[in-house]
Amino acid sequence: MEKLKILHMYPNMLDLYGDSGNVEVLSYRCKMRGIELEVSKHLIGDKETDFTQYDIIYLGGGADFEQQILADDLVSCKDSIMEAYKAGTFFLMICGGYQLMGQYYKDSNGEKVPGLGLFDYYTVASTDKRCRCIGNIVIEAQLDGEKYKVIGFENHGGQTTNVKSPFGKVLSGNGNEFESSTEGYMEKSVIATYLHGPLLSKNPKVSDYVISYCMSRKLGEKYIPAPINDKLEEDCRKQLFERLGV
Amino acid sequence: MSLKNAFTIIFGKLMVKTLHLLGRDAGNFPGLVLWTINKDCLKAFKVDCPIVAVTGTNGKTSVTNYLSHIFASGGKKIITNPEGNNLDTGICSLLLNHCDMRGRVHADYLVLETDESHVPVVYSKLNLQTLVLLNFFRDQLDRNGEVETLILKVKKFLETFEGNVVLNADDPNVARLGLANPNNKNIHYFSVDRYQGATDKPYEVGEGKFCPFCDTELVYDYYQYSHIGKFHCPKCGFGNIEPEVEIKNVDLTVPSFEADGETYKTAHNSIYYMYNMAAVYTAAKLYNFDKAILHDTFEHFEVNNGRLERFEVDGSSLLVNLAKNPVGANMTLRVMNEQAGSKELLFVLNDNLADGHDVSWIWDINFSVFNNVDRVVTSGTRAYDIAIRIKCSGYDPDKIFVYPDLDEATASLFSTKGDKFAIANYTAIQPTRAAIKRYKSLKENGEEK
Repeated sequence: MEKLKILHMYPNMLDLYGDSGNVEVLSYRCKMRGIELEVSKHLIGDKETDFTQYDIIYLGGGADFEQQILADDLVSCKDSIMEAYKAGTFFLMICGGYQLMGQYYKDSNGEKVPGLGLFDYYTVASTDKRCRCIGNIVIEAQLDGEKYKVIGFENHGGQTTNVKSPFGKVLSGNGNEFESSTEGYMEKSVIATYLHGPLLSKNPKVSDYVISYCMSRKLGEKYIPAPINDKLEEDCRKQLFERLGV
Repeated sequence: MSLKNAFTIIFGKLMVKTLHLLGRDAGNFPGLVLWTINKDCLKAFKVDCPIVAVTGTNGKTSVTNYLSHIFASGGKKIITNPEGNNLDTGICSLLLNHCDMRGRVHADYLVLETDESHVPVVYSKLNLQTLVLLNFFRDQLDRNGEVETLILKVKKFLETFEGNVVLNADDPNVARLGLANPNNKNIHYFSVDRYQGATDKPYEVGEGKFCPFCDTELVYDYYQYSHIGKFHCPKCGFGNIEPEVEIKNVDLTVPSFEADGETYKTAHNSIYYMYNMAAVYTAAKLYNFDKAILHDTFEHFEVNNGRLERFEVDGSSLLVNLAKNPVGANMTLRVMNEQAGSKELLFVLNDNLADGHDVSWIWDINFSVFNNVDRVVTSGTRAYDIAIRIKCSGYDPDKIFVYPDLDEATASLFSTKGDKFAIANYTAIQPTRAAIKRYKSLKENGEEK
């Protein structure tokens, strides 16, 4: 049986809005293709974590309070994370995880949390705690050159700017900033986004993009995941796209 | 009374009377109007009796109903909001309905379910005697903001509050609030002793993982459910609270619990229900109610408003429970799994404003524990989302039936015989009950023919 290894960073802290569901969806879709997804955790104080040993590194979203607590630990892992990134490990990051990989995050209390600086973008939250981008969101992403509508739910005070290559074009909702035209950040081996839902639950092709990337990298040849029964997902997308008029 | 307040009341009363003349149920509307014209409108009321408020994420409606039942014993007059309406505007409407033209509200007690985020705004204007705080869980995050924000709001209110505070000692998010005002001597903790289903490791996601005073990870002796259990901070010592009321010997088979050396039989048997009873007992104790009244209430009183409500339909038994957050849903699944034999589940999920538009909380429900579930029917505006959620937990998609229409979903649920369970979220619960009743009467009338 083929095996992929995912490292879930700070699952006990970055698990707002059902984000851990992304790991469950990945496991499910791997299993349907006869791939075992081995899930490991990185918690605060784990000094031994070797990030290069993993196919996927995953960070969910968290509250301001938790982001403050874990920022120091994250920075202490910088070298190993950078090495993994350069070697082509896939990075999937949601909301708070997205923000923490940038230059910095200035939270709603005006406190600056240092980011890992893996990417150029940075995030500033309004000090008015009610001033947040909240609601259903649909974006159009490019996955392996194909246009694909990605649906989720955004809920963030942070406004992210200096994004060189966004994840998608906003069709409905806010995105990186209030009424922004772009959402998230993407490279071939990186998806960083504000989309909860969780992200992968209603966007099977995004899951399969991640699986395809990791398996191809592992096998050294293009891996195309076999089709599986996605009827519920398709019906769900159809219903919501109609409702949101996209 | 100031001229403005006098005008506020007269205007409000006229509005309510007009609406009644038009045959309209006043609801939240008069309160909303009053609030708009006078931000201090609650100050215009003169309440001549103690006010008891119940707040917390889960169990507010049940605890409010139980307390109302107890406080009304012996023919006492109480005013309460048994169906929710727990925001500032709802409470304002309630008082408007019950006051005279001078704004005087006359009763023996006011027992008010109050939304967590509205506690400060309501009780900075009304004279609160007792606040009952049940728990803090993640709930409708897009509406309420992060749980921490909500806790800080209530904390700020408690910093200057000197009345009775009834607190759950087993929820770190609640227990910490006992220290909000060091000068308040009226802090009353309740706790439930380890029950048979308690676990050494957390079984479901929870909120209170870190000490609110020093950020250290809390240590638990055991978890009763979610993050509720016996905890302490290894660094600063927060926790290990000596409760004023300790509920012991919870027996889910009788069902019963023991308090102050006496055994009370109860109408239901889940651990979160027992926590509700612990809160009710502690608040009632403050007011010295007769034990006989408590015995009778715990054993026989039922809220029957979609809270652990039983229906017998067409030879099948159905238990319906409201769940507006993962903890609520996990509790119903726990009750379902503990029942022997095969069963079927109906899950109704809406994403209306009052539910919170974000339905991602369903991913924090632990479905992997499904035990002998033959079939799942889903409904509501987000019927597909919950179907996908259950599928990805490893449940066979061929056994999941999606009917966004509630009448179709109900018919599908009862197309087979056997034990059924239904979980519905906030705006889904009343339509679900209505659909079940419609189906039941259709079946019963059909059989008479």
